[in-house]
Amino acid sequence: MERETDGKKGPHRKMWGVVNGVEEDRIDELLELIWTLREKGVSDLDQLLENTRDGEAKSILRMMIRDGLFEVEGSRMVLKEKGEEKARELIRRHRLTERLLLEIFEMSEDEVEEEACKFEHILSPNVTESVCTFLGHPPTCIHGKPIPRGECCTKFKKEIKPLVLPLEELGLGDRGRIVFIAPKSHQRLDRLSTLGIATGSIVRMHQKNPSYVIEIGETTLALDKDIVKDIYVKKV
Amino acid sequence: MRSCSAETRPPAPGKESIVLIGNPNVGKSVIFNYLTGKYATVSNYPGTTVEVTRGALSGGERHHQVIDTPGVNSLIPMSEDEKVTRDILLYETPTHLIQVMDAKNLRRGLLISLQLVEMNLPFFVILNMWDEAKSRGMEIRSQLLEKILGTPILKTVATRRKGLERIREHLRPQFPTPIPIQYPETLESGVSRILLLLPEAPISKRSLALMLLSGDESLTEWLHQNLTEETILRIEKIRQEIEHHFSDPVGYLISQARLRKVDEILSEVMGRQAETLPTLSYTIGNLSIHPFWGIPILLLVLFVTYEFVGVFGAQVSVKFLEETVFGRWILPPLTQGIQRFIPVPFLQEFLIGPYGLFTMALTYAIAIVLPIVGYFFLIFGLMEDSGYLPRLAVMSNQVFKRMGLNGKAVLPMVLGLGCGTMATMTTRILETEKDRILVTLLLALAVPCSAQLGVILGMFATLPPLYFLIWIAVMAGILVTVGYLASRILPGEGSDFILEVPPLRIPQLSNVIIKTLARMEWYLKEAVPLFILGTLLLFILHQTKGLVILESILSPLITHFLGLPSKVTETFIIGFLRRDYGAAGLFMLAKGGNLNPHQVVVSLVTMTLFIPCVAQFFMMIKERGIRKTLWITAVVLPIAFGVGGGLNFLLKWLGI
Repeated sequence: MERETDGKKGPHRKMWGVVNGVEEDRIDELLELIWTLREKGVSDLDQLLENTRDGEAKSILRMMIRDGLFEVEGSRMVLKEKGEEKARELIRRHRLTERLLLEIFEMSEDEVEEEACKFEHILSPNVTESVCTFLGHPPTCIHGKPIPRGECCTKFKKEIKPLVLPLEELGLGDRGRIVFIAPKSHQRLDRLSTLGIATGSIVRMHQKNPSYVIEIGETTLALDKDIVKDIYVKKV
Repeated sequence: MRSCSAETRPPAPGKESIVLIGNPNVGKSVIFNYLTGKYATVSNYPGTTVEVTRGALSGGERHHQVIDTPGVNSLIPMSEDEKVTRDILLYETPTHLIQVMDAKNLRRGLLISLQLVEMNLPFFVILNMWDEAKSRGMEIRSQLLEKILGTPILKTVATRRKGLERIREHLRPQFPTPIPIQYPETLESGVSRILLLLPEAPISKRSLALMLLSGDESLTEWLHQNLTEETILRIEKIRQEIEHHFSDPVGYLISQARLRKVDEILSEVMGRQAETLPTLSYTIGNLSIHPFWGIPILLLVLFVTYEFVGVFGAQVSVKFLEETVFGRWILPPLTQGIQRFIPVPFLQEFLIGPYGLFTMALTYAIAIVLPIVGYFFLIFGLMEDSGYLPRLAVMSNQVFKRMGLNGKAVLPMVLGLGCGTMATMTTRILETEKDRILVTLLLALAVPCSAQLGVILGMFATLPPLYFLIWIAVMAGILVTVGYLASRILPGEGSDFILEVPPLRIPQLSNVIIKTLARMEWYLKEAVPLFILGTLLLFILHQTKGLVILESILSPLITHFLGLPSKVTETFIIGFLRRDYGAAGLFMLAKGGNLNPHQVVVSLVTMTLFIPCVAQFFMMIKERGIRKTLWITAVVLPIAFGVGGGLNFLLKWLGI
């Protein structure tokens, strides 16, 4: 279900009134749209106009070009440095929020979508980094799309003790409940699930060398490192 | 020994069938053995029972056929094994279906039970390994579980025959209670749409729809047999629609929903687990995969294997059989008898000449090959049944990763040290085609089979250790280099290393012996005809002087490039018919003082790398197809001679 930024926004925006804030939001929305379309391999200006609900998109776009956020080559849109950075940050906040709300607070998908749309505009960089660290620097959003990396991910900050950690980092002998599995390959996920490894299962880290060995119930499984990397757990 | 997917033989009318189904490692084969009293490849290592084993129910008044299926984790097939099992349920309607479960792994067993219930198949449950669950302090309310599933549950300890006698009284149709599972809404709607398009089938349409939605491609055959092209396309469209709706794979979502249901049932049925002290088996089991302690254990196992097979088998037993049994007891009276009763010189040569049926073929087959292979299978059987084999995979995973494989390849590679033909067949358990080709290539190239190995070790035993080390270094180097390069060049994905590690158990000696005998029997049936064929070929070549011609053609290559005497050519030609045969020929030459140590190393290196024996060659064609086999041969031959020649010059230059 394609419910991420597609320009079709809910009623909350009407609450803001006609202030510069609205313009900024609209710029943000368009930036996001450019990014998501690009992810799908679409950079066409016409496509963008088709996909946005913003009636005055063209004038906002002109403003954005004037501000140096992106440029148009023929009918192709290319994000410039400033625009790229901004779009990246927006997408990051949106998708991190999705994870937070769905996985940790267990809200419904509708609620998540609505709230994530609001959060992306207001989260400060500090809070974004904290949320990212808290979630253990997840690589993908709930729809499987990549979450752009932040400074905290590259530095792999651990100052806030993450509640959720990659299985790789679960201590020897510790137990964790699987919170999400980044879907690398369908086959792999299927296979893991029939062995009992799925969201909600509790695993125990038995050893990490020469292979990773984990225990689920009374089953002992040996796994290669790159499979373990995809699994994220909440320590119990 | 082909897997049964297209070639299923449903029981003859009037015959009833009992099918055993369950996860790997639960003891199905032990129960099969009990019911039929027959040879079956009883194994602990998932994937070894790729074959569907059939037998007759012993002592049955009516004729029941018992069928042991490969272990499965799910009936939505993700591997060849699972496809075979699912197909049996689909094509052959079993009269009685018994699910065997590991009591301590109830969660995984119930995952299958739910699928059987969904399929609307009558079955009952054997809750095996009850003792192990008990010793781990687990409490399972089996009567409550019986009520929930609506079908009898027998508690057993199959290895000690406890509880098995009650099986026969339960052989009547047992219909379980339907257990509703709630799948995501969109999925359910997809299911109902596909339901309308499906024909009648032995398993419920709902379960078929779920299999199709999860992308089960193995059902296409059945679909084509029962539906029009148009309908099949419509089903595919629905599937794609549903697939795009979700970001997670459909199969995963289905498993998740099922797991939730299972966990629900478990919360009612499982009591709190009491804390128990770790058992000895648990402790040793852990040590055997420990990064530090696992290594000496591995070396110990290898050493014991070497002593048993290499020394006791190759040297002592072979010596005894060849020199005493054949040399003194069998051949002399046989020779005299034939000379007396069959005065035809041609026939005499045929039977007892230098390339004679008895003097060459049968002597080699029974005196040299059989004992070594037998001992090897014995050790291998012990490793399987004790549960050590997967641990070997865990320890060796890193090594195999360098070859572009993963630890699961340890099974065919180790089997290759026993018999390359059997090992090539076992590549079936590897998941991706790329893995299978890679292992087949390495088996054909650098893995010597046990008969060959025994002779090789025997030959090196008389020389300074340096030569043996050279041989090992070359073999290891080739394995890693070729493996690595091939894994880069070959298209496709390698498979994931996800391996179940069962608990260490004391192997049941009777099981191991049954398995070993069954394998030796299979080996004899394969080997002896080929030895005879090989001898026949050589005999003809010898009589027609064809051998001389062949020798003169290959001679320059052998003498100049490899630096070996021309008689070696003969052993290479024989070596194709039977590798061990060829090695044995070299052995004779060396014993007769015709080869110096330098030549021994070069010839053994070349011979080991040389293409495999005829039997393995045919097995490669069967498993990989003729094209790939020819490619592999085209790679192997130049490497064999190239490395041999290179080694020859290197050693000459180094003055060894």
